[in-house]
Amino acid sequence: MRNLLAVLAASICAIAPAAAQVAAPPQSITNSVGMTFVLIQPGAMQVGVFTPACPTPPAPGTAPAGPTPPPGVANPPPVPRDPRNEWSAADYQACAEIVARESSPGFRVEVAKPFYLGKYEVTQEQWRQVMGRNPSTFQGPLVNGDTSKFPVESIEWADAQAFVAALNRREKTTAYRLPTEFEWEYACRAGGSGQQSWADIRATAVEGGTAFGRYGGERVTPETPAPTTRQVGTKPANAWGLHDMLGGVWEWVQDPYNGKMFADPSPARDGQVRVLKGGSFTSDVKNAICATHAGGPANGWDVGLRILKEAP
Amino acid sequence: MRKLPALAAALLMTTTVQAQVPQGMTPLLHSDLSGWHWSLSTHHGSTGKAVFENGALYLSQAPYGQGGLFMTDKRYKNFELYLETDISWGLNSGVFLRSTETGGAYQIELVALASDSPAMTAVGSLIGEGVAVQTARPSDLRPIWKDGGWNSFRIRMTGDAPKVTLWVNGQQVLESQQPRNAKIAGETAGSIALQLHWNATYEPQIARASEGRSWKAGARIGFRNVAIKELP
Repeated sequence: MRNLLAVLAASICAIAPAAAQVAAPPQSITNSVGMTFVLIQPGAMQVGVFTPACPTPPAPGTAPAGPTPPPGVANPPPVPRDPRNEWSAADYQACAEIVARESSPGFRVEVAKPFYLGKYEVTQEQWRQVMGRNPSTFQGPLVNGDTSKFPVESIEWADAQAFVAALNRREKTTAYRLPTEFEWEYACRAGGSGQQSWADIRATAVEGGTAFGRYGGERVTPETPAPTTRQVGTKPANAWGLHDMLGGVWEWVQDPYNGKMFADPSPARDGQVRVLKGGSFTSDVKNAICATHAGGPANGWDVGLRILKEAP
Repeated sequence: MRKLPALAAALLMTTTVQAQVPQGMTPLLHSDLSGWHWSLSTHHGSTGKAVFENGALYLSQAPYGQGGLFMTDKRYKNFELYLETDISWGLNSGVFLRSTETGGAYQIELVALASDSPAMTAVGSLIGEGVAVQTARPSDLRPIWKDGGWNSFRIRMTGDAPKVTLWVNGQQVLESQQPRNAKIAGETAGSIALQLHWNATYEPQIARASEGRSWKAGARIGFRNVAIKELP
């Protein structure tokens, strides 16, 4: 028995380095227009998990807690109070019953092959190099200074397809394409769940203006600029080295939108409306999460892309 | 048997008594809900429920905690908007003005009247949703508010840096000249949108109790006689 184990261990040791030498693609590659890609390894995830929480009844004799303002926000608006607006025991009970009925464990999705995914959203400069023009709204008079490293936006799904085709022609390959929704979400999660914590979202997402849960009641002066997109890669990367998966601009993926809260286990191939992922700088901690399954067109000026290159 | 005609008469009363769209305004809401759509990219959700019954539109969450934004296909800049709303207790809604597709907008807050509170988030307040609006509160609504019934809102909005005037049940309660155009990308027009607020994330992640309780399970909000007059 001991011998058998030793032989097994020896053969594993002998095989593993050889396999690594043959198959291991580089962890990161850069293409002809300066786009960096990160290698994403295969794996699995649970999609469509829906287990919302009912609010917790306040402890007996205490008033329900009001909002806690995010750090740095002064003068939060007071909360209107009327006993009829508060939850009764029957309301908590009704909530528990509805949630028990509507909760779903979701379904397992396997990502079978490794792939390269853009480390950043495609920038205005990269788009211009490939397509010869820059369609973005946030340039020129709307933004002070150089926007070449801002994400390209104001593109429709068909434009994203044209970009991929032009890049494939330019590099004489067929390896570039939009990610599928599952590939995108798997890379966004980087081993975590589809629902990020609000602290994690604020740490990595590219926010704008009064979005992301800040109050609309904060002081406004004529000097307060309206938010815009921002240079890519200014926030920390996720656990797999990808920047700006949350916030920034919405990103087109390949899949048609199904009109539901989550993707179907076997997504359709055709449809008029296409799926958007990741939220934009106008989004909120509620929807700038990896699981959000949104549909176009959003606002145009907050819609861009990140592309995939198939691993050899 | 005797009760039937009385019941029928009562039913007839409830359907005919309701106020009509003001003269000179164009109805925006039709029984087939044409001219409106759900946003597919707002954080409130994209799977809310809209039903039209007895001449009114009712919005409710589906599934639990997931709301939405029910919005006009057409975008408006200068206008006068009229609507009547029936607000249940324990919900948070609003009329979005010049809304983007994702729900960045000027908002007239709709919550059931909290009679002991003049708070900024009380019914009729002008607030920002995703944009930095200078908030404004209405004057005291208690003398004119109908608890548990239909209340009318007339909202006039004009100008790049908009001036917003609000009448509730025919009485002017708010006028606000905004210091600038708060909208992103220099836009000055947008949809009229009715807010169905979210109150739960997909997986437990509630950070503030007030959001968890902002929409009672099964609550719904009604809108009727929604009409608009575009202004130069």
